[in-house]
Amino acid sequence: MIHLQDVSLTYPNGVRALESVSLTIEKGSFVFLVGHSGTGKSSLLRMLYREEVSTSGEVWVDAVCLNRLKRRDVPRFRRTVGVVFQDFKLLPNKSVWENVAFALQVTGVPTREIVRAVPRALDLVGLSHKSRMFPHELSGGEQQRTAIARALVRNPKLLICDEPTGNLDPTTTNEIMELLMRINRKGTTIVVAIHNQAVVDRLKRRVIRLENGRIVADDERGSYFGDETPALPSRS
Amino acid sequence: MDFGRLRFFLGEVGTNLTRNTTMQLTAIGTVAVTITLLGSCIFMRESVERLSARMLSRIEISAYLNDTATDADAAIVRQEMTHIRHIVSVRYIPKTEGFREMSQRMAGAIDTSLLTSNPLPNAFRIRVDRPEMAGYVARHVALIHAVAKVSYGQILVERLLRIADVLERIGLTIVTLLTLVAAVIVSNTIRLTVFARRREIAIMQLVGATNTSIRAPFIGEGLIDGVLGAGIALGMLAVAHLQLLPRLAAALPFLPLLHLGVDEHRLALELLAIGAAMGTFASWFAVGRYLRT
Repeated sequence: MIHLQDVSLTYPNGVRALESVSLTIEKGSFVFLVGHSGTGKSSLLRMLYREEVSTSGEVWVDAVCLNRLKRRDVPRFRRTVGVVFQDFKLLPNKSVWENVAFALQVTGVPTREIVRAVPRALDLVGLSHKSRMFPHELSGGEQQRTAIARALVRNPKLLICDEPTGNLDPTTTNEIMELLMRINRKGTTIVVAIHNQAVVDRLKRRVIRLENGRIVADDERGSYFGDETPALPSRS
Repeated sequence: MDFGRLRFFLGEVGTNLTRNTTMQLTAIGTVAVTITLLGSCIFMRESVERLSARMLSRIEISAYLNDTATDADAAIVRQEMTHIRHIVSVRYIPKTEGFREMSQRMAGAIDTSLLTSNPLPNAFRIRVDRPEMAGYVARHVALIHAVAKVSYGQILVERLLRIADVLERIGLTIVTLLTLVAAVIVSNTIRLTVFARRREIAIMQLVGATNTSIRAPFIGEGLIDGVLGAGIALGMLAVAHLQLLPRLAAALPFLPLLHLGVDEHRLALELLAIGAAMGTFASWFAVGRYLRT
C-alpha cells in the first residue's frame, strides 16, 4: 500500500524534516506513528497525500509514485486518500451533512450518488441523527467523527490521521480510536500520527517511532516508548 | 453539468457574495467608482475628439484670384479644381460679397466706416474632406493659373490638430492608468474574499477538487462584482449625462456639446464588458496564489 524508499525531505528554509526514511506499510494494516513534536511525523503524513514532495528518494502510495505524479493528476490521487486532522477542518457555515457532501460536490460527483454516499458515511460514524446540525453545535468528538465521515465518504483505501485525538478528552479519544479500528477492520489502511501513550500501548498495533527525522524503532505490536524507559513523566 | 452541480455552483457563488457583505460592497463600490471615472474619461475624450474634428471640418481654404482675372478665368479655375482630390465643395465669392462678409465680421472690432474701398480680390472658398488635407489641397490650388494667393489658416489648423493629438494622448494615458489601478484594487478586494475562504480552498484541495472547480465560484463572484459595479457606474453616468451635460452645454454655448453623436449605448456595453472582464481576471489572479500544490 505504502512504500518509502530512502526518503529525505528538506524544506526550502533548510530544515531537514526527514532523513533516509525507508518504510513499507501493507494493505489493510493499522500503523501508529509516534515521536516528539517536530520529529517529522506530520511531514511524513503530508508526503502520503502529496502535500509535500520528498527532496530525494521515492514515495509510493497504492502503486502511484508521488514523486513523478504530475501536478494536474494530484486532485485525482487525493480522491483515493482520506485525511483527518487534529483541528477537524470542518466548514463552520455548513451542516454535518453538507460538510460530508462537500467532498463529493467539489469533485463533481452526481447528486444521486451524493444522496446515497453521505448517509452511509454518517451511519458509519454514528452521526445520522445529527446531520442537520452545524459544527459549533457538536462536541469535539462529534466534530471529529464528521471529519472522519468526510474522509470516508469516497471509500478511500488509505486513511491518514494527523493527531486525530489531540483535542479530545480520554473517553472521546477512545471512542474515536474504536471507530478507526472498526473502519480498519473493513479493510481500509490507516496511518495515525499520535501523542497519546495510553492509546498506543492499549491497542498494541504496529508502532513506528521517529526521532529527528529518522525511524528509530518499528515494532509490529509495539508500545509508545518501545523498550526504552521514558526519561520524562509520560504525556497523556 | 447536472442540475445538482449547477445548484451547488450557484450556491457557492451566493455564499461568497452574501457571507462577506462588507467586502463585497467594497469590491462593487471600487468597480463602480473606477468605471464611472473610466466612463467619464472615455466620454470626454470622444467628445473632445468629435468637437475638434467638427471645428477642423469647418476650416475653409480661400483661393484669391488675380485682380485681372475675368469671370471666364474663374470658370476655368473652378473646372481645374475638380481634378484635385479631397475637395468637398467650392464656393465662389465675388469681391463685393467678400467685402460685405469682412465688414460684418469686423463690425464692432474696428470702425467699419473707415473701410471705404474694397481691397479684396474675387475668391473661392474651398472645403476639404479631411482637415489634415488642407495643406495638400492648398498647394495644388496655388498652382492653378489665375490663382494669386491661397490661404487656409495654416497655423490654426496645425494648432487644432496638435491640441486634438495631445488631448487624445492625455486621455489614453488617464484611461490606461485608471484601468490598471482599478484592476489592482479589485484584485486585492477579491483576494481578501479568497483569503477569508482559504480554509474552504484548503479543504477543497485536500478532498481532490480540481483547480478549475475551486476557481469557478470565485470567478462567478468576481464576474458578478464587476457587472454590479459597472451597472451602478452606468446609473451614475446616466444621471450625470441627463442632468449635468445640459447645464454644461448651457454654460458653454459656443461649444456644441449636446449633439456630438457619441454612441452612449455602445459605450455602456463597453463599460459593462470592462467591468465583467475586470472582475473575472482579478478573481482569477486572486485565487491563483492559493492553488499552488
